[in-house]
Amino acid sequence: MENIDAARLQMAFTLIFHIVFACIGMVMPFFMVVSHKKWLNTGNPVYLQLTKAWQKGVAIFFVIGAVSGTALSFELGLLWPEFMEHAGPIIGMPFSLEGAAFFVEAIALGFYLYGWNKIPPKFHWFTGVIVGIAGVASGILVVSANGWMNAPSGFDYVDGKFLNIDPVAALLNPAWFTQALHMVLAAFTATGFAVAGIHAIQILRNKQKEIHKKAFKIAITFGAIAAILQPISGDISAKDVAKRQPVKLAAMEAHYETAKGVPLYIGGIVDHQQKEVHYKIEIPNALSFLAFGDFNAEIKGLNDFPEDEIPNVPIVHYAFQIMVGLGGILLFAGLFFFFVNARKKQWLSKKFFWKVFALLTPAGFIALEAGWIVTEVGRQPWIIHKIMRTKDAVTPMPGIVYSFFLYVILYSILTLAVAWLLRRQIKSLNNTPKLSV
Amino acid sequence: MITVVLFFLAFSLLLYVLLGGADFGAGIIELFSSEDNQKITKKTIYRVMGPVWEANHIWIIILIVILWVAFPQYYKVMVTSLHIPITLMLIGITLRGVAFVFRHYDAYVDNSQRIYNWLFRVSSLVTPIFLGMIFGGMISSKIVIPTEEFTPSFAEAYITPWFNPFSFLVGIFFASLCAFLSAVLLIGEADEEGYPVYVRKAKIATIVVVILGFITISYGYFADRYFVEGIIKNPISVSMIILSALCLVPLWFFIKKGNRIYSRIFAGIQVILIIAVALIPHFPNILLIKNESMSLLQNTAPDSVIKVLGISLLIGGGIILPGLFHLLKSFKLIKILERR
Repeated sequence: MENIDAARLQMAFTLIFHIVFACIGMVMPFFMVVSHKKWLNTGNPVYLQLTKAWQKGVAIFFVIGAVSGTALSFELGLLWPEFMEHAGPIIGMPFSLEGAAFFVEAIALGFYLYGWNKIPPKFHWFTGVIVGIAGVASGILVVSANGWMNAPSGFDYVDGKFLNIDPVAALLNPAWFTQALHMVLAAFTATGFAVAGIHAIQILRNKQKEIHKKAFKIAITFGAIAAILQPISGDISAKDVAKRQPVKLAAMEAHYETAKGVPLYIGGIVDHQQKEVHYKIEIPNALSFLAFGDFNAEIKGLNDFPEDEIPNVPIVHYAFQIMVGLGGILLFAGLFFFFVNARKKQWLSKKFFWKVFALLTPAGFIALEAGWIVTEVGRQPWIIHKIMRTKDAVTPMPGIVYSFFLYVILYSILTLAVAWLLRRQIKSLNNTPKLSV
Repeated sequence: MITVVLFFLAFSLLLYVLLGGADFGAGIIELFSSEDNQKITKKTIYRVMGPVWEANHIWIIILIVILWVAFPQYYKVMVTSLHIPITLMLIGITLRGVAFVFRHYDAYVDNSQRIYNWLFRVSSLVTPIFLGMIFGGMISSKIVIPTEEFTPSFAEAYITPWFNPFSFLVGIFFASLCAFLSAVLLIGEADEEGYPVYVRKAKIATIVVVILGFITISYGYFADRYFVEGIIKNPISVSMIILSALCLVPLWFFIKKGNRIYSRIFAGIQVILIIAVALIPHFPNILLIKNESMSLLQNTAPDSVIKVLGISLLIGGGIILPGLFHLLKSFKLIKILERR
């Protein structure tokens, strides 16, 4: 394997791993504090039990997110030293603020996890809120740094040199808002549906229904609201990408021929050699409308971009289809939940209702990872859009393939271990005697 | 503003060594304890370190972010030449973090605890050794920078800089320093049962640190290292070494007495002196390179970046430090604030 491929695979693999833990560590504190608040308000011990169960989950996911994030912060330099040498100072601001936000999160989590019966109850609850807010803030800041790679700004590029650096303009790059909004909503959707799904499975298994139903309701409310809002953010993102990175949009849709009134392809098999998409469903003029708000807008096709500036079309196209497809399903699942909750309460005791959500447990995370692949693979061959190529940024040290395999082994074991640990948490929760009044 | 940035760089380093170090050390102490004492230590670590555990390890992130933002070329040389030990250290940090949560958050306490405990203890020892080896690699003047006339071999570029006896000695020395810090910290935190254990451990650790420090410096001297020569020729570092030796007397006295406040203060003084001795003589050259001289202050990021970084650090510090202080205080880790 070429060094550059190994480095890209390692980066992709470690990020895909980290994102899951980071998102759960960022979103679950919100579920936890809602449950905590309900306990404070109602005094129903089931909520206390749930808060404590979720708090363990938060602790586990937070720590694994933190250590894999520490590894990533080094990996940026270990794998892409040339990139970090030039980009590091420019995107230093989001990273240093992210460090601060992460620090606040860790301090607040220390208070929260160990503060039971030691600090005033209201302050204790509030530290949990801070954990969530600081988590979301650090998520937004990291995504802003990634946004800069897609939409580099805050400097003048003259003769291969980065001059007149303005770190604030780099932080507020044109992509930061659309990307951060999309990512935060995705994190809430994915975590909401995953947590709700796990509790739905327990309800199907007839274990401790009372607590699991309460848990489900909190998690799915967050997940459903985010899933319903996500298309709006997706639309803003698509229009932004169409303007800023037309080649990425063309790759997402596997759109080869420049044309006006371009149809939207759903599904299909990309034949990159023949530059065609087989077996697709076409919605006439839809892509033109979605990208530019005009049914007859012209969209530049991949054929009109230089061959060496095109990302891997099949990967980007398939990932995009998966993301949109699952996102759509989750949107309807979210609406379905609100409908049942408002009009068909009796369905809550039917098996099929819980089966739907049990089935959707991994859907949000698959969509989220697919979306991440769209934006990252779609950025290639650039590490800094139109400024620096990924292959020029890679470390000169040979043999990255070994560190890639090392991470694959390590993180695979960790994934299994965490899954095993969570099973034990759930088992223990199911086996605790009923507390209800 | 560069002064603010340098201050935060040194400050993060100091706090990482003190707090992160004490945390690593707790695992090392557990590793070298009898089975009964291991149980006491595990309990004490959870109670004492638990709330501050994560925060302790964020200092290293702050440290490298400052490095890459303000001193990008320095950072590039470091991460390229020391790629391998940094990767190994990261794996150590990962496994240690995982073992820590697993052993305290597993819903069932059964045989799997043996694996978690073992992993926690071993990674607690190995990780600081690699950290020390990384620092040893930075100062052992074996890093080479490829030039047009000179292309180093793989070993010269990526192995020798850190895989050498001197770096290894620095690694072992740092691990012993961690154990020392932790033992002193735990004196103040232990209950009746653990108290005499940690007084004894702190005594042993002090002796080990002094001996290893002496061996490391002497090895460096006899192998004729540029680094040690710089220390010996610099009046400031020489006087600091003398001061550090003098401070050993009260340190020993307070450890023996089991004084919770002054044993910590004198242990902290030792760490500050050790870091200062290591960094001051060659400053601003922190990386000692074989075929070039590279100053930390050359090729810094442009002023606009330094200014924004400095302001961010001041604001961040203004939020974080009171929070951290309050956290340490709430969980009664700052003994001097307690009325006895």
